[in-house]
Amino acid sequence: MSYKIYKINEELKDFMPKEIIDLEEKATWGNPKRGVMDLPYTKELIEEHSLCAGCPESMALRYIIASLPNPEDTIIVNSTGCTSLVFPHIALHTVHSLFGNQNAVASGIKRVLEWRFPDKVKDVVVLAGDGATVDIGLDCTLQSFFRQEKITTICFDNEVYANTGGQESGLTVKGHVFKMAPKGKQWDKVPMWQLAIDSGCHYVARLTVSSPKRVEQVIKKAIYVAREVGPTYVHLYTPCILEIGLNSDDGLDEMRARDKERFAFFEYMTPQAEEVINRIKEEGLL
Amino acid sequence: MYYVAEVINDECSKYNCKQCTLFCPEPNTLMYNDEEHHAYVIQERCKGCALCVYVCTNLLKRNAIHMIMPEVHAEK
Repeated sequence: MSYKIYKINEELKDFMPKEIIDLEEKATWGNPKRGVMDLPYTKELIEEHSLCAGCPESMALRYIIASLPNPEDTIIVNSTGCTSLVFPHIALHTVHSLFGNQNAVASGIKRVLEWRFPDKVKDVVVLAGDGATVDIGLDCTLQSFFRQEKITTICFDNEVYANTGGQESGLTVKGHVFKMAPKGKQWDKVPMWQLAIDSGCHYVARLTVSSPKRVEQVIKKAIYVAREVGPTYVHLYTPCILEIGLNSDDGLDEMRARDKERFAFFEYMTPQAEEVINRIKEEGLL
Repeated sequence: MYYVAEVINDECSKYNCKQCTLFCPEPNTLMYNDEEHHAYVIQERCKGCALCVYVCTNLLKRNAIHMIMPEVHAEK
């Protein structure tokens, strides 16, 4: 894909919606230094969507899409969940996989792209919720790490199956009660970031989305390392404010509180990953 | 209709923080006008979550955004 597909025929310009014209004139294509500080001025590659008012997942998606270093050559693979409401409104290639299959689908796409476009950089990024990544798709997720597939996996952890009414997931915290889990969860939260390290990921990070700049740094590191070294994993806390009974303006407060406890910023990288990160820092891309 | 955010331009232009534009969950809704040095809300896109008010008032103590009931004119 090239961003030139958004070049509009001059004769048709009068009939095009403003949002499409903005994609050509104001979006940040072809600039690896793009980032969250472009958000106040430029056209985002994400349009109006149907996530709830004040949803932290929506903030996370804004930061991630704004931080992709190579959006015109990035393929996003997603799975069933709240995030799948957003992907039809993103001006990039997205593939919706069967629930839990996202890392297997992404592995295939990455391999075919390497074969079809050997001279081009193509990033494959998986965006999925905690149900798809850790419960239903744990097999496919870990197998892609074992195989050292060069893809970035980003998990939106809201600690519950939110859009099906509030069932507990593997990432729900022990003791938490939800509408469809009235007795409270009886087992511990799965430490997915640790599983990712043990399974061979070269860069792993765990954080909330309370700091846009930090999310940008983590996403860029994960994508550059995946491009050259091997699988990377980012675990983002994006609470479901409806399921945990908060108001629409409480999401940021909740994440700032969790920053100090179970989602304290954690970062792991292998020596090969560190080498890549140091190099891109020197090149001014971080 | 429901409440939407509105920037108080005179208050906002005293600072150069742009934090509300980053924390708004909606894309291309809270933007920044560099010439006049203040943020502005595209009200048709605002879902009224008031997260920007929390950032501006509770976190930064700047009180430059408030929620208002917008004037809606039905199309004839």
